[in-house]
Amino acid sequence: MITIGRGPAQADGPHGPAKYPSRFRESGLRVRHMRAHVVVAAWFGLALLAATAQHSLPVARWLAIHMFLLGGATTAILIWSEHFAVALLHARIPDERWSDARLAGANAAVTGILVGVLADLPVLTGVGGVLLVAVATAHLVVLIRMGRGALGGRLKPVVGYYRVATAALIAGAVLGGLLATGHAGATHYAGLRLAHIHATMLGWIGLPVVGTLFMLWPTVLGVRMKDITTRVSRWVLWLTGGGLTLAAVALALEWRWPAAAGLAVYAAGVALAAGLFVRTVRGNRPVSAAAAWMLAAATCWLLICVAVDLVMLAARSVPGVQTVLEDLVPVLLVGFVAQVLIGALTYLLPVVLSRGPKDRAVVRAVLERGWLPRLVALNLGVALPVLPLPGPCAVVGMGLVGASAAAFLVLVGLVLAHSRRAVDQEQAAAGSGPGQSPAPGSRRPALLGTAAGVVLTVLAVLVANGGWDTGGSTDTAGGGSGPSAGSRTVDVSISGMSLSPNRIVVVKGTSLRLKVTNKDAQRHDLKSENGPATPLLSHGQSHVLDIGKVTDDLKVWCTVPGHRAAGMRMDIVVKSGTGAAADRSTPSSGSGMDMDHGGHSMDSADSGGLDLAKAFSPGWKPRSADLPAAGSATVHKVELHAAHRTVEVAPGVRQQMWTFGGTAPGPTLHGRIGDVFEITLVNDDTGMGHGIDFHAGALAPDRPMRTIDPGERLVYRFRAERAGAWLYHCSTAPMLQHMGNGMYGAVVIDPPGLPEVDHEYALVSSELYLGTPGSTAQVDKMRHDTPDAWVFNGIAAQYAKAPLKLKAGERARFWVVAAGPSDGIAFHIVGTVFDTVYKEGAYLLTPKQPGGSQVLDLSAAQGGFVETTFAGAGHYSFVDHDMRHAEAGAHGMVEVTP
Amino acid sequence: MTGAVGLWSLVRFIHVIGAVVWVGGQLALSLVVLPLGRRLLDTEAFAGFAAAAGRRFGILTGAVFLPLQLGTGWALAWHKGVTWASLAEPGYGRVLAAKLALFVAVMLAAAAHGWAHAKGRAELARALAVVSLVGSIGVVLLATALPAT
Repeated sequence: MITIGRGPAQADGPHGPAKYPSRFRESGLRVRHMRAHVVVAAWFGLALLAATAQHSLPVARWLAIHMFLLGGATTAILIWSEHFAVALLHARIPDERWSDARLAGANAAVTGILVGVLADLPVLTGVGGVLLVAVATAHLVVLIRMGRGALGGRLKPVVGYYRVATAALIAGAVLGGLLATGHAGATHYAGLRLAHIHATMLGWIGLPVVGTLFMLWPTVLGVRMKDITTRVSRWVLWLTGGGLTLAAVALALEWRWPAAAGLAVYAAGVALAAGLFVRTVRGNRPVSAAAAWMLAAATCWLLICVAVDLVMLAARSVPGVQTVLEDLVPVLLVGFVAQVLIGALTYLLPVVLSRGPKDRAVVRAVLERGWLPRLVALNLGVALPVLPLPGPCAVVGMGLVGASAAAFLVLVGLVLAHSRRAVDQEQAAAGSGPGQSPAPGSRRPALLGTAAGVVLTVLAVLVANGGWDTGGSTDTAGGGSGPSAGSRTVDVSISGMSLSPNRIVVVKGTSLRLKVTNKDAQRHDLKSENGPATPLLSHGQSHVLDIGKVTDDLKVWCTVPGHRAAGMRMDIVVKSGTGAAADRSTPSSGSGMDMDHGGHSMDSADSGGLDLAKAFSPGWKPRSADLPAAGSATVHKVELHAAHRTVEVAPGVRQQMWTFGGTAPGPTLHGRIGDVFEITLVNDDTGMGHGIDFHAGALAPDRPMRTIDPGERLVYRFRAERAGAWLYHCSTAPMLQHMGNGMYGAVVIDPPGLPEVDHEYALVSSELYLGTPGSTAQVDKMRHDTPDAWVFNGIAAQYAKAPLKLKAGERARFWVVAAGPSDGIAFHIVGTVFDTVYKEGAYLLTPKQPGGSQVLDLSAAQGGFVETTFAGAGHYSFVDHDMRHAEAGAHGMVEVTP
Repeated sequence: MTGAVGLWSLVRFIHVIGAVVWVGGQLALSLVVLPLGRRLLDTEAFAGFAAAAGRRFGILTGAVFLPLQLGTGWALAWHKGVTWASLAEPGYGRVLAAKLALFVAVMLAAAAHGWAHAKGRAELARALAVVSLVGSIGVVLLATALPAT
């Protein structure tokens, strides 16, 4: 059997007093271990604290991982790898002062890195990284020099694991430094990040664990080591070390199959080691059952994670693996690393901190308190979040892990305190009894209890405050600072480590909201300089970030460490103009550089030319806003001709539109549930295909809804199975242009039991883009969502010139469909309160309810209706309450006569 | 339909009164009754008195306070339309979830206090009692952060 902790079994080695002797200077050694483990425990405590805040603060997730691994685990590995290397090689103890200096250097480096990232000081991060590399190199040199001339025990090859692991730390630190300081760039980011994760997790942490287990596992079990262990440990080192090197290099270069091959070799090595461990198990009672079970469970998690990683790498692209890794890293972190540490410390701390067999049993008993529930809680907690279970299970899992880890930390604290007291007693030269719990002052329990209660409460408050958008709107400019500054929502997409657009120009005082969608494989967030931030968004998630009133230039960026430097940033630039067209955004160039080329193409003459106060040309007729009657027929046959028409779309402004049936929007179709619509589309256009997508029916997009060529005709049949206000639009790509030029309309299907009203109107809201259809200038406006006007039923301000007419006391129903192509609508009638709101197939409000409604809000392609009774005579404006839209055409009038 | 003081304000009233009695009871025990007992009674008599007082408060907690708080709390959550999924959402749900978690921790500490007392580990028992008291005040703090139902 091997002895761990105090040194090799042979007490009379050739180097005499320079190795760890059994009963010599033990209290000095204990003090060193104790100090070092206080640091380890402190890192873990901080990591736990950071982990509780990870949902509110995206950087907290990074911080938690790095406090745990880079802080705690690295310190522990530095201590133990040196300690074991001395024992295994029967070597001299390296100069303690230098060992202390390396430990201190490593901790200073880690602190520098963490603070540098947290405070966004890349220089500090860089300095910390360089210091860490220096410390790791020194550690490597010590490990190599220790081997020279040393006699070496049977398990000498294990020290090879520590050397390879230290090399992996150096590589991992360099890669991490590149990522954190933005030197990785956007294009290589994914590969370098994967290489960083693999080198550090599987190399710096995985290899020493696997190597140490060759000796620790039989010791914990209390059995003799197998004879083949030396040989197997050599093979495993070659497999894991070589495989990992290949995998890391290939990942950095984004070569998928070599990476998978390297990982497979690594997995084979771990499996080989695990096989030996299984064969080592005998039926006897282990020295520490707690440690044995934890080490076994941890090894299982390592195998599972490597296997999943391997399968994912084989099945997906290199960047695609990133999504999986987001879920896998916590499993590896807790299931493997934390558990192996807990297991190893459960066995090792009694060995190094106690003063003899009796004391060792006492310390071990403390550390093993409640180990079975802790083991079950930890492993259940790791498994719950990754299994496809409902959301609360993940929260419960996190709670279980946290409780289990915190319980162990408390026990470690108790043991360290116990050891501290023992050392004090020894140093006072009076210590003879075990002195388990010296009588404390009577105030101590109250103080401890208060501290624990306060910590609990603070944690609960942190959890409670998690997830709020920090800040809130910065409404400092005061209400009407800019006459035409309205509000504006801009779609921002995240993909390939860049933001699109990466520059938004707004009129001073605009209330800006960013609809952020993450299309990238890895998680991102966005934070604005003035405070508001989105939560961390996974692939495909969206979030509306309310920037508030913009009065100054602002910067917006992703707070995930390294991402801002890699190009994930955006500028919001204030322009003190007035016209609606001053707002514009510039699409990302993809390289992450700020491009400002929008100024020329955007200021086209036709955008500023709308004068809505002017009269329409003589002979102009408004489009009727009345909803056509549904009639008694249950089959509605309509023939729609797709054709170009030039119409007056704003006072004195004529524009060529692409139409269904000669008008934009196309005719409104009206029916009841169960009615059949038979639409014949005739493509009268020249040189352009068209199709129709009826949202009201369920039809296969590639068959009945396909695009037809000029001259062709196609019959669409659909049964209206469900009520609602539906959009139909041209289904031919590019749809932005087909819809932006007028090819849309509404289908109204009455809900059952719809009461009679005096007037029923149908309003289709949309954007209007002037200019030659399909020209670069016009399409640019569509892409940047900077229309020339927003309109009801296709024509700017038409119902302001030709009001809808009612009598006092009459009740009206307004069907509204938002055709877009990009913007929704906030439909409001000034001076009224809606008592009925029906949106997207459901009543949000009925007259029986006590509440009232002011706005029908519809996103692009949504529909619904509102009802109100006009009690008194007068002029009631109806508007899109997005005031920028209202002022640029989306307003009309209801004229109520007595 | 209902006036300012309706059925649901009654339910909330019971919930709040329950919390008042529980927190107030703990405060009275640990700040008034037990210190006085320690001063006025001899050690043995005090030990018996403290154990009896603790047992009675424990029985009241288990038999009256817990069912009352859980029942009214459940009803209020139902009335508010809280679902399991909404507990994870920032805002009301997250505050409620944190409050519930803290409440569970407080109850565990209280139970552990009883256990430690029974095992004769006076210091641990005292510490746990204080944890429970401070945690309860934390629960009240979080409760005030919940908007009225």
